[in-house]
Amino acid sequence: MKPRVGFFDFTGCEGCQLTILNLAEKLLDVLDLVEVVEFREVQSHCKEELDIAFVEGSICRPDEEKRLRLIRTRSKKLITLGACADLAGINIAHEEADGAELAMAVYNSDSEHLQGGQARPVSAIVPIDGRIPGCPVDGQEFLSILHALLLDRPTNLPAFSLCVECKLAELPCTFEQGIVCLGPVVRAGCNALCIEGGDRCRGCRGLVDNPRESSYQRVLETFNRSVDDILEEYRTYNLRIDEE
Amino acid sequence: MRTTQAPTSAAAEASTWRALSRAEIDLFVRSMMTAYEVVGVQKKHGRMTMDKVEDPSALCLEFPPQVHSPKKFLFPNWQKLFRFSLGGKVHLEADKAAVPRVIFGMHPCDLHAVQVLDDCLFEGEADSVYLSKREATLLIGVDCLPDEHCFCSSVGTDRTASGFDLFFHRAAEGYLVQSGTERGEALLRRHAPQVAKREEEAPLPLQVKPCEQKLDFAVDALAPLLGDVYDHHLWQEIGGRCLGCGACTLLCPTCYCFNVEDRMDDDLTGGERVRTWDSCQFDHFTRVSGGRDFRSDQADRQRHRFFRKYKYLWEKHERTACVGCGRCSRECLAHIGPVNVLNRLFVEEASPELKALPANEYQPDMVEIVSVDDLTSQDKMFRLRLNNPIRFTPGMFVAISIFGLGEAPFTIASSPSDDMHVEVVVRAKGALTRALHRLQIGDSVGIRGPFGHGFQVDAFAGRDVLLVAGGLGLVTLRSLLLSLLAERQSFGTIQLLYGVRNMDQMLFQNELLEWHGSNLLDCRFAIKEPGNSWGVPTGDITHLFRNLDMHPQRTTVAVSGPAGMYRFINPLLLRMGVDEEMLFLNLERHMKCGLGKCGKCRINDVCVCETGPIFPYSEVKHLKEAIER
Repeated sequence: MKPRVGFFDFTGCEGCQLTILNLAEKLLDVLDLVEVVEFREVQSHCKEELDIAFVEGSICRPDEEKRLRLIRTRSKKLITLGACADLAGINIAHEEADGAELAMAVYNSDSEHLQGGQARPVSAIVPIDGRIPGCPVDGQEFLSILHALLLDRPTNLPAFSLCVECKLAELPCTFEQGIVCLGPVVRAGCNALCIEGGDRCRGCRGLVDNPRESSYQRVLETFNRSVDDILEEYRTYNLRIDEE
Repeated sequence: MRTTQAPTSAAAEASTWRALSRAEIDLFVRSMMTAYEVVGVQKKHGRMTMDKVEDPSALCLEFPPQVHSPKKFLFPNWQKLFRFSLGGKVHLEADKAAVPRVIFGMHPCDLHAVQVLDDCLFEGEADSVYLSKREATLLIGVDCLPDEHCFCSSVGTDRTASGFDLFFHRAAEGYLVQSGTERGEALLRRHAPQVAKREEEAPLPLQVKPCEQKLDFAVDALAPLLGDVYDHHLWQEIGGRCLGCGACTLLCPTCYCFNVEDRMDDDLTGGERVRTWDSCQFDHFTRVSGGRDFRSDQADRQRHRFFRKYKYLWEKHERTACVGCGRCSRECLAHIGPVNVLNRLFVEEASPELKALPANEYQPDMVEIVSVDDLTSQDKMFRLRLNNPIRFTPGMFVAISIFGLGEAPFTIASSPSDDMHVEVVVRAKGALTRALHRLQIGDSVGIRGPFGHGFQVDAFAGRDVLLVAGGLGLVTLRSLLLSLLAERQSFGTIQLLYGVRNMDQMLFQNELLEWHGSNLLDCRFAIKEPGNSWGVPTGDITHLFRNLDMHPQRTTVAVSGPAGMYRFINPLLLRMGVDEEMLFLNLERHMKCGLGKCGKCRINDVCVCETGPIFPYSEVKHLKEAIER
């Protein structure tokens, strides 16, 4: 029997699921390998046992927490999908600003029915078996993690920093333009997409396993950046750092 | 062993020089494009990169040294070794031959860098994937102007008389093309016939390049200098600054350490075994099964990089593996630069008086499993029937493949006397070993090898033998013991000391009982956790040395166990009076390619998969990475 797979979304933009749908033909190959039993973007609800649950979005409300726990009980493997599920993601902005003000700024007057709450990553509520980072996820990485799960291989992510992918793509270093970039401490795997597009790395894939914090701090000092500047930058995707 | 001649190392006896104009160069390139993929430096998206040339007039012949190295064409980051398909029988398919290519735009330092790659990759059994690329590629040199990071003139790579097929020098008017090989001459005759017919010019005298950065001492003083600074505090300082990003090694035109892994097709019906660039600066580089890391400190990693570049490879090939191109320091955010580091070491520490078909060797042979024995709840022994006879000495290893999961090294557990079978012991720990555990009699696996250097059986002849095994280390000593027992009368007493954590990890229990009951050898066991069913006293292996009846001067000792065990066993044996030359250690590391190429198993400058994993203590005692401090 084909492994049964479900996709679930919580607080997030559903962009990660959309990225998976955008895999188009490659997605058809995947559908030969697994049976997708739940996918809100394409079909309606059912309540069966699952081999793999992919969970998108951060957990913000008690009812979300309850639903997540139920998904955990019926799933052999639970994998987070994207930065919101992995890190709480940009929803953490809710912590910084007034909720009503924020809702107003984003949704204007239609926002009364929206109820926020403290955004938490999935792993703060239930144990997880793997994660696919990024905002949104990288479709190819989703495929290779799914392959690893199907082959019973470890679901390893790149252990090196984004600098590697900038060098391989021969992109000029963002620091050369005097712009501070999180690349040296952030996990590679996006093929330096934002740098290629002319932006800096804002850390949507999270920190590497072993970020060299003090070395990085020293680099920032040479660029005259204060600790506050960089903590601000870390907060975009709720990255955790020793605040020294 | 076969040594391979680098395709362009035979410099043309008589180099010719001919004048030509830029317009003629464009015609030459256009003509070459009909027969070759021509790559060269061009401006794309606002930056200079080396890439395929579509329009000859866009090709830059004068470009700054920060352009990334042409290594990516000769030793690319992603190199398919072979394809495999799953489902039914595993079907292997070799990679196709390399594309005929001209690299038009090699700076002198980059030409020297190719010589370093040749040294390393053609040494011993040539790396056929690199060789096929190298043979299909013509190298055309162009000159350059050093920037503030270059120090080529200090390491003698600012100019070159060989290593290229053609070299284009800037002349007062236009260019002078210098031929370096017969292949280069032929290229000129075919694609620029009017230039080839032209009368020869006098050679240009090549001046030493002006570099701001300079080593304060002669380059041949480097290796001895580094010999004295292994424990210098500077390494800690650099390690503390390093971001571990690996940019230095990725940009280095001579770094070639690599990883090998299986990449699956989207539909999982097959995949490719590929090699990708790896870096001694990365966290996973020296990590072994079980999670231990033999070089976890960033200071040790940086030191290793410097020692490889300026000492280990210099001693081997009399050429520094650094060509002074400055790429590592140019893009290092932590500003770690070789000239600065080496000059500081010199000033602070140096004593004043110092002044075929590609990828054949990676392709496993498919062999059948003929028996599977459960040794413990987590260890199985597989007996494999080989297609061809094997010759090995105890202690050598084979690499076993499961397609889709990769390849891992396993010590041969059986005796060399049966040359059509090998036995390996597999502990279910990771994805590959768990998958192996699911295999049954009649299934097949891929195998390569044997690799490495085993026990010198001569060293045991006519002497007493003491075997000391800890945990899985018994696997190696079983092979040795079986070959000793096959000629029992050639040796004096044989004693086996075996320590394990608990009965559940005790390997070869039936054989141990059989040996114990025989008069062929003396077996003693130590079991760490209390309450074992054999009634063996509880304790660690050192207890077994207490009442040992041994004549150290006539005993050869073999020790095989986890890395930590050597720390207390070695001093114990040496104190008892065992000869350093007669004490053999099994120092297994992260062995990936088995061919002495990938760089993962190095203990300082020693490649374990070539000269080990079995070493006499006297040979490794000076290696600081060998026995854990």
